Amino acid sequence: MAERKKVEIPENVKVKVSEGEEYDFPVDISPMHEGERIRKGEMYVELAGPKQPGFELVMALPEDQVEDMKVTIVGKDLDELEEGKAHPFAMIYYVAGEKIDTDLEPIIERRNHDFQNYIEGVMHLNQRYDVWIRVGKKAVEKGLKSLATIAKAVMLLFKNEMPFIEKIEAVYATDREFVEKTLKEVAMPIYEERDARVESLHDEDVEEFYSCTLCQSFAPSDVCIISPDRPSLCGAITWFDGRAAARVDPEGPNKAVPKGEIIDPIGGEYSGVNEFAKNESGGVTERIKLHSFLEYPHPSCGCFEVIGFYMPEVDGIGWIHRGYPEPAPNGLTFSTMAGQTGGGKQVVGFLGIGISYFRSKKFIQADGGWYRVVWMPKELKQKVLQYIPEDMRDKIATEEDAKTMEELKEFLKRVDHPVVKGVVRPVDGKKITEGWLEEKEEETEEEVEEEKVEQQPTQPMEFMQLSQLQPQSLQPVIKLTIKNATIKIDKIIVKKKE
Amino acid sequence: MIAILIAVTGKGGTGKTLVSAMLVLHLCKKGSLLAVDADPDSNLPEAFGVEVERTLGDIREIFQSSRDEIKGDKEIWFEAKIFEVVKELDNFDLLVMGRPEGEGCYCYTNNILRAILKKFMRHYDFVVVDCEAGLEHFSRKTIAGVNYLIVVSDTSRKGLRTAERISELMEELNINARKGLIGNKVIDKRSENLIREFAENSGFKFLGSLPYDEKVVECEMMGKSVVDLMKTNCSFVREFEKIVKNLESWVVLCQS
Ligand SMILES: Nc1ncnc2c1ncn2[C@@H]1O[C@H](COP(=O)(O)OP(=O)(O)OP(=O)(O)O)[C@@H](O)[C@H]1O
Ligand code: SF4
Ligand SMILES: [Mg+2]
Repeated sequence: MAERKKVEIPENVKVKVSEGEEYDFPVDISPMHEGERIRKGEMYVELAGPKQPGFELVMALPEDQVEDMKVTIVGKDLDELEEGKAHPFAMIYYVAGEKIDTDLEPIIERRNHDFQNYIEGVMHLNQRYDVWIRVGKKAVEKGLKSLATIAKAVMLLFKNEMPFIEKIEAVYATDREFVEKTLKEVAMPIYEERDARVESLHDEDVEEFYSCTLCQSFAPSDVCIISPDRPSLCGAITWFDGRAAARVDPEGPNKAVPKGEIIDPIGGEYSGVNEFAKNESGGVTERIKLHSFLEYPHPSCGCFEVIGFYMPEVDGIGWIHRGYPEPAPNGLTFSTMAGQTGGGKQVVGFLGIGISYFRSKKFIQADGGWYRVVWMPKELKQKVLQYIPEDMRDKIATEEDAKTMEELKEFLKRVDHPVVKGVVRPVDGKKITEGWLEEKEEETEEEVEEEKVEQQPTQPMEFMQLSQLQPQSLQPVIKLTIKNATIKIDKIIVKKKE
Repeated sequence: MIAILIAVTGKGGTGKTLVSAMLVLHLCKKGSLLAVDADPDSNLPEAFGVEVERTLGDIREIFQSSRDEIKGDKEIWFEAKIFEVVKELDNFDLLVMGRPEGEGCYCYTNNILRAILKKFMRHYDFVVVDCEAGLEHFSRKTIAGVNYLIVVSDTSRKGLRTAERISELMEELNINARKGLIGNKVIDKRSENLIREFAENSGFKFLGSLPYDEKVVECEMMGKSVVDLMKTNCSFVREFEKIVKNLESWVVLCQS
């Protein structure tokens, strides 16, 4: 882990220190000012931004190292900077509190954007090393002359709105050498560490998942669960995004979902998730297994980037992405399958996911993960190739290898795909499928199904049979309810659309 | 809150862009103003004689396709990019919405977009939106809070029928705005009366009519901007001043 310690203040640079709280601000401070643009003509100075180096950084430190409400300015202060120009700029905050650890740093840091924007005449854009600040002429005329005033206002807001911050100290800098050096040596390693943590965080490392109900407007029973190992199916929201949103607006579309008891560690079933899903879906969804394909799969609202489909003929799973127009080897196109799977339902045999779920270490692990995957369009396969275990890369067919079920069977046999002789799922080494027993195909398949559901002898959900879904015999896609109507019709002609 | 958000709409080719541009040039003298080009094929920037390299639509598509690779906070990233595509002109700002959405789910993207635009637009005294008759951005609620909707119609039946359709659409979309009508390319008294009558019978405030003017055509052909057109003080420009006066007293009446 990158070391957290106070940055060294250089000796040959002008330094100004301001201690203690300040309440008398020359400009108004309120959320009303968020979103206000300071135009070039109205700008006193620009800090950081596209033309100058800069960054913002929050560091968690032990309580005894943080001097509450102290501001150190390294380099020229606001009223000494050349007007109309852009200058280097760094904002560093040291925070301490009983509940504060390095995990909270990015969440605190995110609010710097909001709080800076609360200040009348200060515009703050972007984040991390891309920050871009403008201070308006009017604000300076009103008496905003020192960066310490901005820092003090922001620190007060931090303490008010995030009461778990017990102590906060700031270093603001305009000295180019200091900004560049600290960005490179202190800030960058911390950002990199945070990004690496995004990759390495797993479901078992956290206490809460997050929900998303943004799509309930058109899929009323839909509820998405977002965990570190399962980003949202629309590809938009990661666990970190969910956490940030839930902290900012706990009653908004992303809510914290306590995990509760773990029911099935391999399938990814949690009592807290089940409870939440039951409530939010109005009872439509009672159980969810986050990393299972064939049992209590995650419901799909219709926004998924990719849809997975089980093919009983080969006892394997295929994936098709939005934008691939041809039918998959099961004869169905993306939109046909999407129409069946969407609407917030759990349809066993189909699963909507976001492309980023292919990266997950728990990718459909209950059903064998990548070792159960038999087909995907070339474009999609290329995109996720690096996440496919090396020994499977040549065993997953694309449209170049197989367009029909027959061709797919041929291909899988030729490359000796695990589904042919039986899949051993890597997560616990258990053999979960029997493989193809060609002599008595039909019955064996039934047996395989039954063995797989041993943990749950009764499967309360409909198992969408492939036969129900043949393109020729599509299920009706609309439901027509007519109430209190008098209808007179002379003739109705129903024709198949050519 | 934005004090006044005016959406200018109507059938294709009736003069929406010209009227929007003229309105912008008049209103920006009275307060801070954001001009929004919400017609995917429109050319409001051209009317001002400027070029816009990137549109909000471009940013939205980048966000849509690479959002799971964005580091840090996505909303902050999105907001910064939107601020970058807002063009600062001498007396007002210009935002081009650009191309329509592609395939796929935009719930999350539009939800963020809505919040950003709301926060951003409320700081202007005036927002003038040049939009197509389908009012896409209003139906998606990416632009919210329109309080004046002005339909520009020529004297054709089709132009007036579009005005009716827009009226219905507003009801469907629950847009609670005052409705105004401007007649454009009017050649005689008779057609002016026709438009006025239509307005009065259909719940529109009649804001006046603009003549068909060769000077407009000439400026357009010579690639001159609306700023240049204003300088000619042709009959179109003079009549427009009356419309601005009518609009002002209408707004004063409505706000009180
Ligand atoms: N009063 C007028 N007299 C002469 N020509 C006019 C007049 N008003 C508009 N025009 C011309 O009519 C054409 C269409 O005008 P404009 O582009 O403003 O319409 P629009 O409704 O925005 O069109 P679109 O639906 O294509 O966006 C332009 O060439 C414009 O110069
Ligand atoms: S699909 Fe995405 S935006 Fe829609 S509810 Fe799920 S997570 Fe939210
Ligand atoms: Mg136009």
